[in-house]
Amino acid sequence: MHRLAFYLIFLFFLGAPYPVLAHESQPGTVEIEEIGDDRFKIVWRAPIYYNKPHPARLELPDNWQTLGQPTERRRASDIVFERVISTGQQGLNGSILRFPGLETTITDVYVRVKRLDGSQATNVVRPTKPWTELRGERSWHETSREYLFLGFHHILLGIDHLLFVLGLLLIVKGRMMLIKTITSFTIAHSITLGIATLGYAQAPLPPLNAAIALSILFLGPEIVRVKRGQTSLTIRYPWLIAFGFGLLHGFGFASGLSTTGMPRAELPWALLWFNVGVELGQLLFVFVALGLVWAFRILQVHWPRWVLWLPGYTVGSLGAYWTIQRTVMLIRGL
Amino acid sequence: MMTSKAKSRLLFTILVAAVALPSRALAHLVNTGMGPVYDGIGHLLLTPEDLVPVLALSCYCGLRGARAGRWAMFLLPAAWCLGGFVGLRLDLESTLPIAALSFLLLGGLVAADARLPVQMIVPLTAAVGIVHGVLNGLILKTGPGAPAILGIMGALFVIVTLLSAFVVSLERSWPRIAVRVAGSWVAACGILMIAWYFSGQVS
Repeated sequence: MHRLAFYLIFLFFLGAPYPVLAHESQPGTVEIEEIGDDRFKIVWRAPIYYNKPHPARLELPDNWQTLGQPTERRRASDIVFERVISTGQQGLNGSILRFPGLETTITDVYVRVKRLDGSQATNVVRPTKPWTELRGERSWHETSREYLFLGFHHILLGIDHLLFVLGLLLIVKGRMMLIKTITSFTIAHSITLGIATLGYAQAPLPPLNAAIALSILFLGPEIVRVKRGQTSLTIRYPWLIAFGFGLLHGFGFASGLSTTGMPRAELPWALLWFNVGVELGQLLFVFVALGLVWAFRILQVHWPRWVLWLPGYTVGSLGAYWTIQRTVMLIRGL
Repeated sequence: MMTSKAKSRLLFTILVAAVALPSRALAHLVNTGMGPVYDGIGHLLLTPEDLVPVLALSCYCGLRGARAGRWAMFLLPAAWCLGGFVGLRLDLESTLPIAALSFLLLGGLVAADARLPVQMIVPLTAAVGIVHGVLNGLILKTGPGAPAILGIMGALFVIVTLLSAFVVSLERSWPRIAVRVAGSWVAACGILMIAWYFSGQVS
């Protein structure tokens, strides 16, 4: 019966008319490097978006003149457009870069300017406002606010990360154990997020995504064990598993924070506030989930037996679906 | 001479009405930059003419007890979803002051703590869900469409469940009175909006 439920849910995701995908929100980057008087090299990396070229394009100001032949290179994870431009007398400051098509996506674009005098600046372009005005360096609180929102958005779009947290919530018994487990997950993913962002270690995205999916699949049977009244190492020490897999998830969070070409001075702020944003999103999810459990008790909701099994099987089936999907993508990419 | 309580009530009424009324005329679409499901959630949370009736209905069902709360938590999202999908396929423009009527009716029920039987609360909830759902569908069909309706449905389930459970959990009489006072403000906003509608200031 339970096996049948697993297969049915798995087949539902497999046959779904829409793609059941965890977030594919790799950011895009535009690097603008001053190479001479009023001359700049522009590199626009448009990420592959759900296996297709990104719908957004980079629109330069009318008064900029392209020098030489622009180039275009397709890579596994993005398409790289390069060109050299002359800004003329007007210079760079005050110019507006537009990204038509970005508003229909969930992609953020980092625009980084590097000048000959060594000064650097970063702007983040979001789909809600698909343009940016190039200007000098920004205040720390402007940068902090931008990265805080980025982290918050990243976790809310990361269905796979949230599903893992949901799986942990379904395993954990007692308030202290819950605090221990969530803290453990937080510490672990903060460690690897920091390591990856500061460039000490990198995890290639395809195997990383497959491993994250595997961590969700791993929790499915454990949730079923809890429901059956059985025990295991994971059920006794969920914080241990949260820590172990949290290290993996941290590398995943790092994929949402592109630091290529980021000014050194901006890096600690970016890392700190991005992580704070991730934690706030995660806490919001945990509080809503716990609030709903409390509300069901107050409203005396008596769920049918099959509904009580549903979360475990959904976590397991989605984990299995993503594991297979991402492993196939990994093998195809070899 | 107005008392300070009456003054604050009037101020609140004008503020909420001022926020709620122009948004109908603009029929805004919310772009969160996080995809159509979150756009739907954002639409509900940033549209007072939808959000306030939902809060009022949740409070009312909470005042009426756990059974009414259970009905609302399932029925309102389902009816809203049904109405939303109908609205996506319709081609009409609503000129009725639906939001104002919802404010008045639901706010009035909360303020009066009207003891309607569950048999009447169920069709009322379904009607509110379908009517507001259709209006949402009409607005969202030019934007994020069906996935946004699903986002709204999820947000409704969370809001109605949490708020009605919160009101059910209120054991003392004074917090329940505070809920009724809030209901009276919503009803007052409804009266103001209807008056504006009939005076021709708002279409």
